Amino acid sequence: MKKIIFFLLVIGIIATGCSSDETSGETSHASEYPSTENTLDWTIAFGPGGGNDVMAREMIKILEKYDLYEGDIVPENREGGSGAVGWGHVHQNIGDPYQISTTSGSFITTPLQSDPGWDYSDFTHVALMATDDMFFMVSGDSGYETIDEFVDEAKNKTMNIGGIGVANVDRMIVETFGKEAGIDYEYVSFNAEGQLQSALMSGSLDAIVANPSGVIGQIESGEMNALAFSGLEPLADYPDIPTFIEEGYEVNISMPRGVILAGDVDEEVRQWWIDTMKEVAETDEWEEYIQKNYLSENILYGEDFTEYLEETSSTFNNILSDLGVLEE
Amino acid sequence: MEILDNLLLGLSVAVTPINLLFLIVGAFVGMIVGIIPGFGPTAGIAVLLSLTFSMDPITAVIMLAGIYYGSMYGGTITSILINTPGESATVASTFDGFPLAKRGRIGPALVMQAAASFIGGTIGVLLISGFAPAFANFAKSFGPPEFFLIITIGLLALIVVMGDNKVNGAISALLGLAVSLVGVDVITGAQRFTYGHPELINGIYFLPVAIGLFGLGELFYSIYKGTHKEERKQAVSFKDKETFWPNKREWSESKGTFARGSVLGFFVGMLPGAGATVASLLSYSLEKKVSKFSDKFGKGYMPGLVAPESANNAASAGAMIPLLTLGIPGSGATAVLLGAFLMWGLQPGPLMMENEPEFAWGLISSMYLGNVILILVNIFAIPLFIKIMQVPYKLMIPVILILCTIGTYSLHGSIVETWIMLAFGLIGLFMKLYNFSPAALVLALVLGPMAEDTLRQTLITSGGSLGIFVQRPISLILVLVIVFIVVLPAIKFLKDGRKKDSSKDISL
Repeated sequence: MKKIIFFLLVIGIIATGCSSDETSGETSHASEYPSTENTLDWTIAFGPGGGNDVMAREMIKILEKYDLYEGDIVPENREGGSGAVGWGHVHQNIGDPYQISTTSGSFITTPLQSDPGWDYSDFTHVALMATDDMFFMVSGDSGYETIDEFVDEAKNKTMNIGGIGVANVDRMIVETFGKEAGIDYEYVSFNAEGQLQSALMSGSLDAIVANPSGVIGQIESGEMNALAFSGLEPLADYPDIPTFIEEGYEVNISMPRGVILAGDVDEEVRQWWIDTMKEVAETDEWEEYIQKNYLSENILYGEDFTEYLEETSSTFNNILSDLGVLEE
Repeated sequence: MEILDNLLLGLSVAVTPINLLFLIVGAFVGMIVGIIPGFGPTAGIAVLLSLTFSMDPITAVIMLAGIYYGSMYGGTITSILINTPGESATVASTFDGFPLAKRGRIGPALVMQAAASFIGGTIGVLLISGFAPAFANFAKSFGPPEFFLIITIGLLALIVVMGDNKVNGAISALLGLAVSLVGVDVITGAQRFTYGHPELINGIYFLPVAIGLFGLGELFYSIYKGTHKEERKQAVSFKDKETFWPNKREWSESKGTFARGSVLGFFVGMLPGAGATVASLLSYSLEKKVSKFSDKFGKGYMPGLVAPESANNAASAGAMIPLLTLGIPGSGATAVLLGAFLMWGLQPGPLMMENEPEFAWGLISSMYLGNVILILVNIFAIPLFIKIMQVPYKLMIPVILILCTIGTYSLHGSIVETWIMLAFGLIGLFMKLYNFSPAALVLALVLGPMAEDTLRQTLITSGGSLGIFVQRPISLILVLVIVFIVVLPAIKFLKDGRKKDSSKDISL
């Protein structure tokens, strides 16, 4: 009998072990930063398996492999409220040099949409490491070969264009493109990639915006066609898929993938991380990560990253206000 | 013959000592992960994913598939033992599983759930190996209108699981729908009932609600009634035929259920997003409809456990179809698997089975092996689980309380969700006292938002016209099924209505 209770307790301990909430210890002076006595608390503001999670874990792997960070690093998934919970946690520990996190599009859009108590300017900006850009996809049997053909057809009928979420990068790409091309469209928002893609294949939608890594297989089999890419440069592996800008539509909206620390940390700490991320960016592993996940390499450090965030935030604010999806 | 060649190729890849070892490890870890309330296959795979990067992709995916399958087996064990479903797909397994355990048929119930899982899983894999490419076209024809109709059928099936008091059942389901409204509206982005709390932006997750209503509700109820002081039933062992193995009647009653549940589950599981929950629910209500003893359901009737179990395991096999043939993830767990494919440098999509036959067929053959290993592990582990039932309930109470709390907290590390679970524990007590249906609440909470999103997506694409539901062929068939389900009992009711005033049909 005792054994059974013991067994259940063991199961319980296994369960807690997977989400142990270790604090990073007290704040110490940056003179000996990073001190191995403090654990680096790496907040991942989304669930396991997503783009943000994969990037954070890849960075931690590189930091550990090359001994770039000597202390312990504990990655922690603090999901909820489209990043409100996770980045809120980092924000609460203002001034603590052992609080770090990775950004996504929601880092900018969530504070625009709701009031989580912080916005991008409340953090210490280390580096933008890459941007995530999207393909504009139609189904293979739709007959559209170029984005211009799609725009021509859109003059005759209202196009249904799908994406993930309401007030995020997908939506803004569709909106900016719709305005540039002067077409009538309905944006249909989905929660999950699987349903979005099958809606396109079933003929319910005329087009979708999708992350390249999720649709490469469909492009190669001819099941879907990519008409345009939202980055500044075409993807290295897919030079034939033109950017919106090459096709004459000013659409360049990307998801910033960068590294931030809690607000108000010492300048030396920020400089330490800038130097460290420069080393990360030069590793073969990072190169491979960028390529495998079809990200656009776009590196900006310190002040440049801050400026980028300012610009992006004001662009996003303008587009989303025009759409009326912000509650003011 | 090509199928046989493919399977042989797959087996030759899958059957190496290392792969078998990792398959067993995966199956075992999966079972344990499944047993912990709130810790389902998605989290299990995601957490262990990082361990697999240095492995050979085939070994890695075989282990992850083992976890996926193992957790489907393990998820039911808590449904039967302590009336606490570990995930939405095993809510329906509590309906008859827990009453069976209470009646002392715990051994047979666990054997039958293992058998149902095995048969469901195996029929699912047989269908994958035989017809995967053909099914790909079927999965491809599902857009928002079809999803909405399938989910509507799922919601209609709630009437069957509500129990005898249909009015209270309907109120329970409406409560579930009300709770499901909390959070961001996926179409407009407006926040509903969040009162400025960031924790509520993504809505109220169903698992804390389910763990509270079922696990804690049952516990509070037994304290309230004083049943926790009662002595437990006699021990059972392997050798004791009567109390360990299901008897002949239980087998023969469940024969048809195995087959129907598996096939139905497979087809529903194939649809991205609908998945195992809808499958288990539909299978349960189908059985209750076709059974001659429909009044025995809910009181510890074996087919009532076999139906959802064979269906949810077949559904988890079905969910592999869009993943392997279209590169589309059909469920949370397969979405994580898809991410893993990418990390290993595989390109999921319609060409994967052609370009990477060793990988695809290795994975499929490992599913056959996984099912065999899991049924063995399960049957040998049953005496251990039965022993838990011998522990006096008053000693189990603190353990269950700790398990439920830890399980809920470990979901997202959220203390708010832990409070939500506790609150629903109290609500669960009152629902039990006044004959409401916690199952209808939880399932409405899961299905409600899916129904809302898909209906609104459909109407946006059709410009507001309902005609879209009859213009698409599969959608038209589903509309006819719904008409059949709703109209037939209504006609019957009008015919017999004069004779007896039955409260049963009114809610239809």
